[in-house]
Amino acid sequence: MNAFWKQAIIGPLRELGQQAVASLSSLIGILALILLGLILGWIAKEIIYRVLRALRFDRLCDRLGVGLVVERTGLARSSSYLAGQLVQGLIILTALLAGLNALGTPLTRNLVERFFLYLPHLLAALLVLVVGALISRFVGRSVLIAAVNAQMPSARFLAGLTRFLVMALTVVAALDEVGISRTTIIVAFAILFGGLVAAAAIALGLGARDLAHDLMQSQFRPKVHSEVDDPKRHL
Amino acid sequence: MDEEILQGQVRERLRALGEVEIIVGIPSYNNVRTIGYLVKAAQEGLARAFPHQKILIVNSDGGSKDGTPEAVLKAGNDLDSLMVVEHPLYPVHRLTTPYHGLPGKGSAFRTLFRIAELTQARALAVVDADLRGITPEWFSLLLQPILALGYDYVAPHYQRDKYDGTITNGIVYPLTRALYGRRIRQPIGGEFGISRRLLSRFLTRDVWSTDVARYGIDIWVTTTAIAENFQVCQTYLGAKIHDAKDFGSDLSSMLAQVVGSVFELMETYDSVWRNVLGSLPAPLLGIPFEAGPEPVPIALGGMLAFYRQAIRDLLPVYQRIISSPQLKTLNANAALPDSEFTLSDELWVAVIYDFALAYHRRVIDRDHLLKSLTPLYLGWVASFARQVEIETVTQLEGRIEKLCQVFEQLKPYLINQWALQIGETRSAL
Repeated sequence: MNAFWKQAIIGPLRELGQQAVASLSSLIGILALILLGLILGWIAKEIIYRVLRALRFDRLCDRLGVGLVVERTGLARSSSYLAGQLVQGLIILTALLAGLNALGTPLTRNLVERFFLYLPHLLAALLVLVVGALISRFVGRSVLIAAVNAQMPSARFLAGLTRFLVMALTVVAALDEVGISRTTIIVAFAILFGGLVAAAAIALGLGARDLAHDLMQSQFRPKVHSEVDDPKRHL
Repeated sequence: MDEEILQGQVRERLRALGEVEIIVGIPSYNNVRTIGYLVKAAQEGLARAFPHQKILIVNSDGGSKDGTPEAVLKAGNDLDSLMVVEHPLYPVHRLTTPYHGLPGKGSAFRTLFRIAELTQARALAVVDADLRGITPEWFSLLLQPILALGYDYVAPHYQRDKYDGTITNGIVYPLTRALYGRRIRQPIGGEFGISRRLLSRFLTRDVWSTDVARYGIDIWVTTTAIAENFQVCQTYLGAKIHDAKDFGSDLSSMLAQVVGSVFELMETYDSVWRNVLGSLPAPLLGIPFEAGPEPVPIALGGMLAFYRQAIRDLLPVYQRIISSPQLKTLNANAALPDSEFTLSDELWVAVIYDFALAYHRRVIDRDHLLKSLTPLYLGWVASFARQVEIETVTQLEGRIEKLCQVFEQLKPYLINQWALQIGETRSAL
């Protein structure tokens, strides 16, 4: 009776207790890691925010036009604060993944492994998007000012088109980097562009040759200033 | 700075020549139409005014393709006092066209300064090679104040048509005057005389590879002379008529180069101009006479259409540069009919100061900033032209004086705002 009691009741209960203690320690470990991540993240955010502010990072972002985007979208109170928040988020995410990894189950281990393999692509895509947005903004403004100075009535349209094209290329490059339907995107992009160019060529070349001629002349031919024939007169 | 800009054979020739008292420098680039006459006028004027002094006329050419150096040698009657050198051109000189149409003008000036230094010249006069209206007297007028009166820098003073030189009249002269406190009426005239003391100072500066030397050498020379307290004066030369050949050059790039150079010099000399209020006249030598400047045609309609389009299309750019009360007024003015269109002096000065501040703070790319000024400048030209429509060339000076006074009155705004960073609240005028 005694042996049965030990084998049927106490044994499983002891095992359950041991498993519960092990799970609890893992849980406490995860919570400790997350807590550590939160604390480290907050400290890192504060340090980065203060250092970047001292280095006038906001001024640089304002010059590049990033500051305006941050301000308008309400993402953060300043660019340096946003940079701090990004680092904080990364630290917390890392702590969370480390915690999941500590559980030691094949599922969590696989998840963490895949995430870390994917992370560089994600960061590269993000970088491509940021750089692309800056380039599209810069090139768009260059086109706008040059077109206004050439007195083209379609200056804003040209600038908008330029920005759109640069951003479209950027998005394709970013999606390609993260590997989302790579082939589909490239083919769709090629078809879209090819189709647009072909349609424009047919429409302008055949369907409305005279209209196209007049339109191009009125839209894109810079006006001649009789009063500034010799710009040196202005000096 | 120790890099030797003169070629070996040029140094040999200078060594053989020994000391020279006076040098006339003519930087050139494809000026075959005018340079022969210029050399003759120089030789005649110098022989008449300085018969006993040793003289050298140097043509520093930027690689002309039209036979300019040959024309110089052909025109000279005394080849011993004539020298043709080619100033070095770097790739960037060939790629971009400076407003003065002369590739590497900074390099040409440096060559001339170096020749003057090596020959121990007491005075150097520099004249643009595209001048048509030059007379032999100009050389004496540019050199005598240095040789006889001890001045270091002699700026030109011309009589010009009321619609001529509007960048000078509306921006460069009033702004330079308000900044540095000296009234040099033609700070980017292209002709000037300088003493050995000043040219030696210039040669110690490491600006020759910068944009200021590349595009704004004229304003750099004038500003350095004033800001570093050299003795400056002006000499009256009569009418300025240059050979109109740069029809293809772009007004926007030209304006950007000139104004960009003034703004860049504001960075260099901010400790100087921030302590200056008001201005003092610079002595004017020579006898002002009615020179009958060439009339300049003007068409206001095109300028106003340009201005209106820019106010509509470039608004997001202007919002980052110009403070909102001024922008509101610019916007309201764009809606006025041509016959009522006007930009007040106060508004124009505030716009220029806001552009200078935005350039200083780099609120947007500096090239974008400078090029976005063109339509506003043409708006000002249209407004100014309307205001002086019935005025004579002489009366025009009174109008420009009024504008200069507003530049000086509003300068405290510029000084106060200069130290503020982006994002700090800007007080409107």
